Amino acid sequence: MRRLRAMFLRLMGAAGRGRDDFDEELASHLEMHIDDGLRAGLSAEEARRQALIRLGGVEQARQSYRERRLLPGIERLLRDLRYALRTLGRHPAVTAIAILSVGLGIGANATIFSMVSRFVLRPAPVGDPATLLSLHIAEKGEQCCNPFSLPIYHDLRDQGSSFTRMGAFYELIPSSLSGVGEPERVWGQGVTTNFFDTLELPMMMGRGFAENEDRAPVVVLSERLWQRRFQRDAGIVGETVHLSGQQFTVIGVAPGSFHSVDQVLDTEFWVPLGMTGELVPNLPPSDARDYHWLQVVARLKPGVTRAQAAAELNALAQRFALNHPATDRDNLFVFEQAGSLPPRMRSAVLLFLAMLGLVVLLLLAIAGMNVANLLFAQVAGRQRELAMHLALGASRGRLRGKLLLESVLLGVGGGVLGLVLSVWATGALSTFHLPAPVPLDVRISDDWRTLLYTFVLSVLAGMVLGLGPAWAASRPKMANALKGEDGLSGGRRRFSVRSVLVVAQIAMSVTLLLLTGLFLRSLESAARIDIGFRPQGLAMLSVDPRLNGYMPAQTSQFLAQLRERAAALPGVDAAVWTDVAMLSGGNRSEGLTVVGRAAKDNNPATAELYMVTPGYFSTMGTPLLAGQDFHGERAGGPKTAVVNKAFADRLFSGESPIGQYVNDGRWTYRIIGVSGNAKSRTLGEATRPILYRSLDQSLTEDPSLMGYTLVVHTRGNPATLFEPLRRQVYALDPAMAIYNQETMEEHIRSAYFLPHLAAILFGVFGAIGLVLATTGLYGVMSYAVARRTREIGIRMGARRGTVEQLFLRQGAVLTVIAIALGWPAAWMVSRLVRSFLYGVEPHDATTFAVIPVVLAVVALAACWIPARRAALVDPAKTLRAE
Amino acid sequence: MGDKNEVWQGTLALMVLRTLETMGPQHGYGLARRIEQTSGDKLQLNYGTVYPALLKLEQEGYIRSKWGASENNRKAKFYELTNAGRRHVRKAAQEWEQTTEIVARFLASAEEA
Repeated sequence: MRRLRAMFLRLMGAAGRGRDDFDEELASHLEMHIDDGLRAGLSAEEARRQALIRLGGVEQARQSYRERRLLPGIERLLRDLRYALRTLGRHPAVTAIAILSVGLGIGANATIFSMVSRFVLRPAPVGDPATLLSLHIAEKGEQCCNPFSLPIYHDLRDQGSSFTRMGAFYELIPSSLSGVGEPERVWGQGVTTNFFDTLELPMMMGRGFAENEDRAPVVVLSERLWQRRFQRDAGIVGETVHLSGQQFTVIGVAPGSFHSVDQVLDTEFWVPLGMTGELVPNLPPSDARDYHWLQVVARLKPGVTRAQAAAELNALAQRFALNHPATDRDNLFVFEQAGSLPPRMRSAVLLFLAMLGLVVLLLLAIAGMNVANLLFAQVAGRQRELAMHLALGASRGRLRGKLLLESVLLGVGGGVLGLVLSVWATGALSTFHLPAPVPLDVRISDDWRTLLYTFVLSVLAGMVLGLGPAWAASRPKMANALKGEDGLSGGRRRFSVRSVLVVAQIAMSVTLLLLTGLFLRSLESAARIDIGFRPQGLAMLSVDPRLNGYMPAQTSQFLAQLRERAAALPGVDAAVWTDVAMLSGGNRSEGLTVVGRAAKDNNPATAELYMVTPGYFSTMGTPLLAGQDFHGERAGGPKTAVVNKAFADRLFSGESPIGQYVNDGRWTYRIIGVSGNAKSRTLGEATRPILYRSLDQSLTEDPSLMGYTLVVHTRGNPATLFEPLRRQVYALDPAMAIYNQETMEEHIRSAYFLPHLAAILFGVFGAIGLVLATTGLYGVMSYAVARRTREIGIRMGARRGTVEQLFLRQGAVLTVIAIALGWPAAWMVSRLVRSFLYGVEPHDATTFAVIPVVLAVVALAACWIPARRAALVDPAKTLRAE
Repeated sequence: MGDKNEVWQGTLALMVLRTLETMGPQHGYGLARRIEQTSGDKLQLNYGTVYPALLKLEQEGYIRSKWGASENNRKAKFYELTNAGRRHVRKAAQEWEQTTEIVARFLASAEEA
């Protein structure tokens, strides 16, 4: 501790900080000494002489004082640093290539790490995130996790003693915000009044909810909404805003960094839980124990450990199970730190990140070997200079230190470049649009964790890749080196360190390229996936009249009028309604059973539910295989449905379902038609059973929470339809919010998110790896040629072709060894990425056959250029070079 | 060592601290003279070495310094013990006594042998 403190002060001294009043002190010392001398009867001159003698010389005193004040090492370090920078500057090409290689490697790592930081490490932007927990219900024997019902939340809140506060919230409320400017659909949450106190989230302005406001029409806006819609109006608190046609008084503004507790959902307003029913139809009854619809957060009491809290929750779960056996028998309570990845997506995200992390480390290793190779070559060229240092008395350690400093500088230089690259890359990745019907915040950026990681990684990389060359350089064969001959090549070893490096490098590239190949094939096969409808010529936009206070009959009328107006637009040949467009990441699904079938062979089949209006199938280009389309269904009439082929196969095993009845637990539908299969949630899914219901029949009793989507078809460019369509919407109701406005082809593109992202990342990483490995091989071969120029010259009696073959053979041997190592590695690793591949086996024969050949060809080309140069050597010149 | 003993670094620090403990705040010159006196003039300090030693102690937090006026009204930099220094002096003195005791035993037994 003391030594640390002294070290710090000395560092400060070295940096020119801290006062230096030693000259004054010295003067005062001399004065006092002279005074004493005078008093003892000496002459002034003699007194002064004595004082100086006893001091041991003013300069010496100053010198030893200064040395103590500063760290003597610092000065030397600065000198070495200047020397290293000069050396790097003298070899600009090597320096540039080294920094570029390391930069690419580090940039890739920083980019992936920024994802890790964003999704795994970043704590929720709440007060003391470590003691805020997200609670879930895990049913015994089921996959985690379910939300809470209101009564269970109340019991837990009242009986649990491990927590100071416990809040609950309804995760997503769609709402239409009207007033100034065009109406907009915004998303919010319904929260218990203690929500913000539990989070310890201070408001930017105004206040959070008071205890008695559970049923008060008050709202907290997010800073982002406040800025976007109200231009940061300082007088917003106390103003009234219209959410879905209802008046709410703004009482506070929450900081913009807070999107939601889970850090993935992107919500922009909060209303009291008691008001949620005003904005969301068909909320579960608040006294029902078995409707799970609320998320719960709890603040751990100071001094209570997580283990103690878990034990208490277990005990409570048992108590509840006894008191409410019908509903709570299988319930367990689990929790994780609030703001961690939601349990349902954690493993997939972690696997994806782990895979990418592995790949970028591989890339950095390839880049590092490239640079190590360059440094070996450079050190070989500097033997004379280094040997001279040794001969003049520099210690080997000091020499190694100098060389290490150079490589660390290269590493740090690469780190800076990498950071620039990753700022660009994270920006580009943040523009990806996720195929989800709800608002998500998945932007990534370089935060302080990424900065720290990048810095440590680049220093480490610099040290690791400099170790080998520095070691080699510090033990040259002195006699040879001083004469300017090769002092590093120990005898005639068959495999030099550099060859080993290159083999490792190519082997890793083989692995990387094989994975890249798999993902490119996956993208290609994803593009060939039959989505079951024709995306060309379709334009879509969504509205939710319910959010504007429309009653079902009014909504129905509005939709009918808008459809007529849209169909009448020039160029439009069809216009239909559906609730949610296909491939939006998931909509409604229910378990369906066949009516009139014995219970034992009547297992319910989970089917996707969509609402459509007549003409939907022909507009979408989905074929009707049997029966007929909807036609003039009425709200009160018997319910009808069209099912897809997968549904028919699943529930009727090949028999015609037409005329049969199915039940979804609440309603019974008569099947009137069978359509072709279509992808419902994601591209990669196995075909799911789908049941299309009549929108006109369902709108009243079971309205869509996601609003309704108008789909229009044109022979021309669908994008030109948006302006006229918007005008028609506003002509009917100027306060109607329009959202999800896009062409079907744009929509499909975002559905390709995962294969696209994976292919882009791997494509980029693979290409970088290939370039690095190729230059590495090229470098080694060039070096080999240069070293053996004399030998070639002597052998020139032999024919040119022989020389060329000699080097080609050497390169080929290295490449073949590398492929033999990398290929099986990829074979094993590829199994891990199975879940991210679309329609491609992890051991895809094409990939595993083609990639090695491609790599071999590229590698041989890299060898051929130096080999050619060797063959063209002029014997006369090389012999004279001695 | 000659007839006037030279002082080596570790012990000088202890002497400085101990002197400050008994005398209270003192400037560098005064300290040096006092140490020589205490040694019964058996020690002769190179005054130039006193200041780096003081600086080291100050960097370690055992003493602190401020400018003041000497007994003859000269401007001088005065050093005084910090609390950490007081603790350290006690501990170091103990250790030193132990060391000398052990060494003394060795010397005694060597004489016996």
